[in-house]
Amino acid sequence: MLSRLRWRTLSPTLAAPARLFSQTPIIPEKALPPRLKINDADISISYLKGTGPGGQKINKTNSAVQIIHKPSGVVIKCQATRSQAQNAKIARSLLADRVEALQKGDSSRVAIKAAAAKKKKASKMKKTRRKYRELAEGEKEGEVGEEEEDEVEIIWDDEVKGGENKEAESKIGGEAKTSEESGKGV
Amino acid sequence: MPRIPFSVIIKAQRENNLLPILLKECRTIDSARNELRWLRERAVRDSQSLPSKAGWRSRLRSMCRMRSRGYPLQYILGDQPFGDLEILCRRGVLIPRPETESYTYQAANLVRQMALGHNDKSKSPNQARPLRVIDLCTGTGCIPLLLHALLCPHFQELEITGVDISPTALDLARENLEHNLQLGQLAPRAGTDIHFYRADVLGHNSDNSVPSIESMLQTQHPNLGALDISSPDQESECDLLISNPPYISQTDFRNGTTARSVRRFEPKLALVPPYLGSGMEDCMPEDIFYHRILTLALKLKAKLTVLECGDSHQANRVVALHKRLASAESGQSRAEVWPSREQDLADNGFHETDGSRGVIIRTLR
Repeated sequence: MLSRLRWRTLSPTLAAPARLFSQTPIIPEKALPPRLKINDADISISYLKGTGPGGQKINKTNSAVQIIHKPSGVVIKCQATRSQAQNAKIARSLLADRVEALQKGDSSRVAIKAAAAKKKKASKMKKTRRKYRELAEGEKEGEVGEEEEDEVEIIWDDEVKGGENKEAESKIGGEAKTSEESGKGV
Repeated sequence: MPRIPFSVIIKAQRENNLLPILLKECRTIDSARNELRWLRERAVRDSQSLPSKAGWRSRLRSMCRMRSRGYPLQYILGDQPFGDLEILCRRGVLIPRPETESYTYQAANLVRQMALGHNDKSKSPNQARPLRVIDLCTGTGCIPLLLHALLCPHFQELEITGVDISPTALDLARENLEHNLQLGQLAPRAGTDIHFYRADVLGHNSDNSVPSIESMLQTQHPNLGALDISSPDQESECDLLISNPPYISQTDFRNGTTARSVRRFEPKLALVPPYLGSGMEDCMPEDIFYHRILTLALKLKAKLTVLECGDSHQANRVVALHKRLASAESGQSRAEVWPSREQDLADNGFHETDGSRGVIIRTLR
């Protein structure tokens, strides 16, 4: 009982540094190259409201915006939202990305982003594969795996700290005594 | 209306079983796809926010059924983007059109140019009174609200008045003001800069239940004062008079040029001018609002008048009407149809020959 009290008083100091659940360190991402600025003189925006009479006689819901980049001939059409202003904004950023990709190739913003995403996915897949491979191996070994599990529990039991103590007791049950004893020893 | 090819219906059915329903109103698979996406987004959002037994799927299905009967998308979704604003839409009030958005932007540009030109010539006196804007037949209030959003950064003081005859429209306009203030699309001062009043622009009803536009302006703006005495040296008290009045003729309303959805579900009050009978012989029945508004513009000595018209013929008639009315006055002015240049037409998404046109009248000093 005394040990539990002591752990509780200690716990704030132990919990003080932000505890990470992930083992991998957080690496700050490299800054992406700045977005390409598209010159307004180079583009022509057209609002495709369709043909025929407009105004009060017809209630059109079409708000598509088409941007043509004259130097490169890139055409972007956007009708993501019902707002023309919003569509024009989206189309502009899409155009900037497309033009940059054409100009710079692999060193463009989009290409770098895509490469980073690809790498991330690849590493995730690798981890997944490793996990399932290990699981499959564990199944083959059978009883040996169970013993290993016990070992893991004991190791974890030694490292029980702070607020987790109670939880540990309820989970491990009989083995909690050992932790109490070790607590007294400290 | 051309028949939709069977192959298109099959294609739509394979893609999504709600698409053929929407196709009835949308007519092209592209626009049906878009509308289905917007409806789905709204259905999902609604089912998350409003607790009800029905899931988003059944909500979406009933929305699509409504749409297939021609019920306007904006009434189903409850709003329509107008510039950067979000204008609430409800049955009984005309839905803002993209053309009106173009005229509003153009009007704001011209007002700014005018103010800049004025400040260059004589730097001192113009700041004495706020920039005054009057919008007639305001409906949802979209024009006053967008003008405030566009002009607010450039003018210290603004005074924008929206006028409508319909109480439903005025309620919605005030609601829209509040809504966009909450969204942060309008500066906080919009609440005191913009006012909506009820008045009859035509001023023809005999029982005085609705005040005429002149009496309303005189009570709200006593400094507009001498509306009827046109003394030539009096300074103009109105900078911009803008309006999107009802302009569809009785025949055009019936002969198929007006879309079914508009005819059935949008208010006729906002579309077709009432037939006044005698007393307006010098203009066509669909142009009566222009006659009244141009007369008012001359009385107010509005520096800039922007009017939306149905097509280029009507716009030309309005220009001619202005010349007739203004010939009696002393001041000089220039009226033009906008957009008329090819570049302006293309930039603003107007059709080369068909479709809505505006009339812009500038008073020259």
